[in-house]
Amino acid sequence: MKPVKIAMASLTHGHTRKYYQTLLDNEKLDWVASCAADPRAREVYALYNTGVPCYSSMEEMFGKHPDIEAVVLASANDRHLEEMRECARRGVHILSMKIPTFDMTEYDEMIRLVDRAGIVCQIELEMHYNPVVRRLKELIASGAVGKILSMQATNITLSPVWAFPWQGVPEASYGRRIPLKEGDPRFRGGALCDHPHIFDLIRHLTGSDFEQVYSVVAPNLRNELEVEDMILCNGRMKNGVTFLFDPSWSRMEERLKVPAPGWEVFPKRMQVDVTIIGEEGTIVCDCFGPNIYHNGAPNDRYTVQYTYFDEWIGLVDEFVDCIRNRKIPKINLKWHRQTIECMNACYESVRSGLPVTLDEQRRG
Amino acid sequence: MNIESMNEGLHRLLEKYLPGKTALLETDAGIGCGAVLKKDGECVKLLPWRVERRFTELKNLTENGTLEEVSTLRFAVMSAEESLRQLLYRELDLCEFLGKSEIRSAFAVVSGGRTANVLIKLADGKSVSIECSAALPEKTSPLDRHEIIARRGIACDRVVDTQVPQSSIYLFRDGEETRYTDVDSELYGLENKEIWIVRAAFAVVKTPGLAAQWNRTDRILRRNVESILNTEESGKPVFFQEEHA
Repeated sequence: MKPVKIAMASLTHGHTRKYYQTLLDNEKLDWVASCAADPRAREVYALYNTGVPCYSSMEEMFGKHPDIEAVVLASANDRHLEEMRECARRGVHILSMKIPTFDMTEYDEMIRLVDRAGIVCQIELEMHYNPVVRRLKELIASGAVGKILSMQATNITLSPVWAFPWQGVPEASYGRRIPLKEGDPRFRGGALCDHPHIFDLIRHLTGSDFEQVYSVVAPNLRNELEVEDMILCNGRMKNGVTFLFDPSWSRMEERLKVPAPGWEVFPKRMQVDVTIIGEEGTIVCDCFGPNIYHNGAPNDRYTVQYTYFDEWIGLVDEFVDCIRNRKIPKINLKWHRQTIECMNACYESVRSGLPVTLDEQRRG
Repeated sequence: MNIESMNEGLHRLLEKYLPGKTALLETDAGIGCGAVLKKDGECVKLLPWRVERRFTELKNLTENGTLEEVSTLRFAVMSAEESLRQLLYRELDLCEFLGKSEIRSAFAVVSGGRTANVLIKLADGKSVSIECSAALPEKTSPLDRHEIIARRGIACDRVVDTQVPQSSIYLFRDGEETRYTDVDSELYGLENKEIWIVRAAFAVVKTPGLAAQWNRTDRILRRNVESILNTEESGKPVFFQEEHA
């Protein structure tokens, strides 16, 4: 199979660096170019010595490499629509970050662009390529716990805003400056926007969609942020399964400008723990464990050293397979739309102080 | 061990990352990991723990400045299925792999032919203790722990305040607990022990120089296992000359 000529754009997303090794290792890819959204992104990119040239704009990159077939749009959320328009215009396949946009009008334009151009647009929800999640899906599908009654999950991390400042800017993260609720000085665009995974996972595990969601925010742990960092959600799926999710930035961090050892203050900087309660059994699951542990440099703090997990390998394999074999990615724009709708409903619930019914929100 | 599935996994990795390369795993009843690699007419003894992620990550911590000035390694291993010699073979290799120094002397106390408590000195002065038991009750999952103690920092493959390995998934049903720990998406479906054998075989194909190195290490390890177990009878530590250079 001819390797796919691939590029990376913007380089400002927190997941950017996680692609480098996979793009270099995979024989089915030819990573030919990158372009940076700003000089700082370009400087940080240079630290990783990938050997792949970096340009100052998509236009310059495409000009120098007109044979690019696919692009990883590793950009802030408010850049996605414009970049997708450019890729669709050129017939270039897209690997989008986890939040294409929170604006549903923009979202529908993205769907139309991709459909008209006949390109692949895969959404980066890497948890699907985690072997623990694969086992979890298989167990549930095999009836290991019987009919599911409820699911509880965390998607809790440190806050990446000091390294990736756009994640603390409401316009860049959420797309607009919308107050969380009347009298609250904070805006949409924080921790919730960083953590769609568990909202997506429950749809896969239950085969159902969201009926109702209720959400509350707590006082921020980080006073400087103008977006939320502590948020909780509960609700019910259409098939009756109830859920409780914690998608907060509740693990504190050192305020590093470039992610590096010592980033975490709490020993484990990312926890995706899932509990599934069924009529015939219960599963508890740590999607990122076990690991190895140390209290060495740089801060001599007890630290979880993530050991086993390479989600980006499977994610990129699927992207290549979809391009070469004209398949639709598992996580595509149309599938992901209801996940984004539910996350918007969480914000609406925070605003109103009431549960939000998804069908009513769609009609409204 | 399902050698057919392991070969399928190896074939997938070679096809993806090293197209055109071929190699075959075969079972091996001798002391070691339970399989050997047949490649280009030669037989290669595999040291899969050297590519097992928890050990490569522990080694990284000793090399990237996270731990400074390692003093002592504390290992423990208990198994219901593997022999004392097999367990000691692996742990002795991990001593040198993680300690980055050759074994210079060792003294073992052996009990019942199934347990050995071993104290080791490495050439650079580090101490190593190995609690080694092939006496776990039948059907009990293996237990192990590898701790590296340095002037700056301690690293371990087991989390603080626990005595048994953690799993990723626990299923509770009908009064029983079933555990799952899946660590490799590309080789999903293989047992963990099988995964690291396949990864070790892939490493040998990717880096051909490993074949001679690992075969030589295997010969030294087999001799060291016997010499160390014999200290129980001799009542004296055994001393080893420099061998790997």
